[in-house]
Amino acid sequence: MTRPVFIANSALLCARGDSPATVASTLWNGECSAGQRKLGERAFPYFGLPLDEADWMVRAEQALRQVAGQLAPVSPETPLFIASSSFQIGHFEQLGAPFDLPAATASFSRQIGEWMSQSGARTSFSNACTSGFSALDAARSLIAAGLIDDAIVLGVELANDSTLAGFAAMELLSRTAGRPFDARRDGLVLGEAVAAVHLGAKPATWRIASLRTGLDGFSTTGPNPDGSRIADVTVDCLKEANLKAADIELIKLQAAGSPGTDLAEANALRSVFGQHMPPLISLKPSLGHTLGASGLAELAALLACLDADKIPATAGFSKVDPEIALFPMVERSTEHVERALLNLIGFGGGLASLIVERQG
Amino acid sequence: MINLTAVLSQDFTPADLPAAVRAALGKPLRRAAPLTQLALVGALACLPPERRSRPTILLWQSTSGPRLETLTLLDEVCSGGAEPMPYDFLATQPAIAAAQIQSFLPGLQTAMHLPLDSEGMANWSLLLSLAIVWLNEGRCAQVLCAQLDHAAEAASSHWLALSRGPLENSPASLQLVKDTAGTSLPDTPDFPARLAEWLAANDSQTLSLHSPVAMKLTVEFTRL
Repeated sequence: MTRPVFIANSALLCARGDSPATVASTLWNGECSAGQRKLGERAFPYFGLPLDEADWMVRAEQALRQVAGQLAPVSPETPLFIASSSFQIGHFEQLGAPFDLPAATASFSRQIGEWMSQSGARTSFSNACTSGFSALDAARSLIAAGLIDDAIVLGVELANDSTLAGFAAMELLSRTAGRPFDARRDGLVLGEAVAAVHLGAKPATWRIASLRTGLDGFSTTGPNPDGSRIADVTVDCLKEANLKAADIELIKLQAAGSPGTDLAEANALRSVFGQHMPPLISLKPSLGHTLGASGLAELAALLACLDADKIPATAGFSKVDPEIALFPMVERSTEHVERALLNLIGFGGGLASLIVERQG
Repeated sequence: MINLTAVLSQDFTPADLPAAVRAALGKPLRRAAPLTQLALVGALACLPPERRSRPTILLWQSTSGPRLETLTLLDEVCSGGAEPMPYDFLATQPAIAAAQIQSFLPGLQTAMHLPLDSEGMANWSLLLSLAIVWLNEGRCAQVLCAQLDHAAEAASSHWLALSRGPLENSPASLQLVKDTAGTSLPDTPDFPARLAEWLAANDSQTLSLHSPVAMKLTVEFTRL
């Protein structure tokens, strides 16, 4: 049995707003301001959630309940697929030593299920930046095969110093802003997000036309600069969707402003799309890189933009890098898009390409 | 038909694990976290050299995850007042294991890490269901499913290797079925060890994996 899988609903809480439609509106208006997060003597730009609560766990509960409310109504038995790269590590930072970590590494997922009033099967995914699409791939495969009828796929990435410090220690963070594909790009800007999609077999506006994940073992922190593995995944994704490169009308880039990864992605896109490069957009200069939640946060935001036929300009880009020689959209567009490709390129070699297609 | 091609359980003391890696590779694997070392030793034990270039998916779950490494990181971040050593941060990222073993398993095309949220429970049912679906789709030629855990005193791994099409000496085939009436085993981290016992006992013809969060179909093994 194989059947199409649709995105019935989506939910999003991130620095740009508290629903997909709100986020799409603020993106359209060009809002891209970031806050700041301090780490010792250093401060980094940071896209935090619009929540004032100081207690990490209470704040997490507020965020999760807010997103669950956006998805309602959903049967409490609906299987829940949870993606995160850091789970509740920020909570343990706040509690301080001695660190009483639970024996089961994803125990936070049980708490998430309770907050969202979901009592069905729970599965957690932690594949760094590609966690969200790994979870999406598993859920949509099971629905397509008739093993489950619907699923909530949730991405959760909440503030913590451990991730920020880890990226800072490797000099991967920008001190100013994310500048995708720009000649002056100098690193990532991190952020928080909680995002979800409700998948099902019942027809809805957007269908998952294909999704492929991959692996680039070139190094633990970035892909092969030639982009060959990224291109392989995108080609596989096009094949599964039975589409040609020319059928893609918009690409949501991974591009976060990382010197090496942006170059690899550009090389991959050139090899797949050649002279027929679709319009390119990056959402990370406005949302931040929300790591394990990024796939779902950017999917929810992009679909809301496409539903409104309002594709925002990419912030942070002004100077073409001759080595990359590609540029994201710097002007807003009201083009009606039927098919979009979304790329993820993760820490640890994870890769993913997703194609969504408008129905009817 | 989907075949079971390997059933493996391994236990190591922390001191033995690097030696097992050296024995498998003929050299040490530098700067690799224990979960990565466990993954590498197990994957190479499941797949003979002639099958390591075939398109392979790795699905692995863990109860412990990188717990010890996370404690080290928390201590550095919260108590040290300085940024952590890059290696200590990288060791907390389990996804990195796949990147580090790809050069020894060239066919490894993707990997997923599924951390578990409850002690004593596992999700072999989901791993095997995904493996069967993806093998039937032709997405890959073989799938490695694993449970990897390590603590201060011990490290353990359990593996099932699945392949599309018949292979010599496959002990069982797998399929998703609606109704099962025969022998069943619970979905626990050491399920492969229990499956190996069933295979060795040579009694009932079929065995199903009973999951408390079962989907519409159940994974059933049929002795070959």
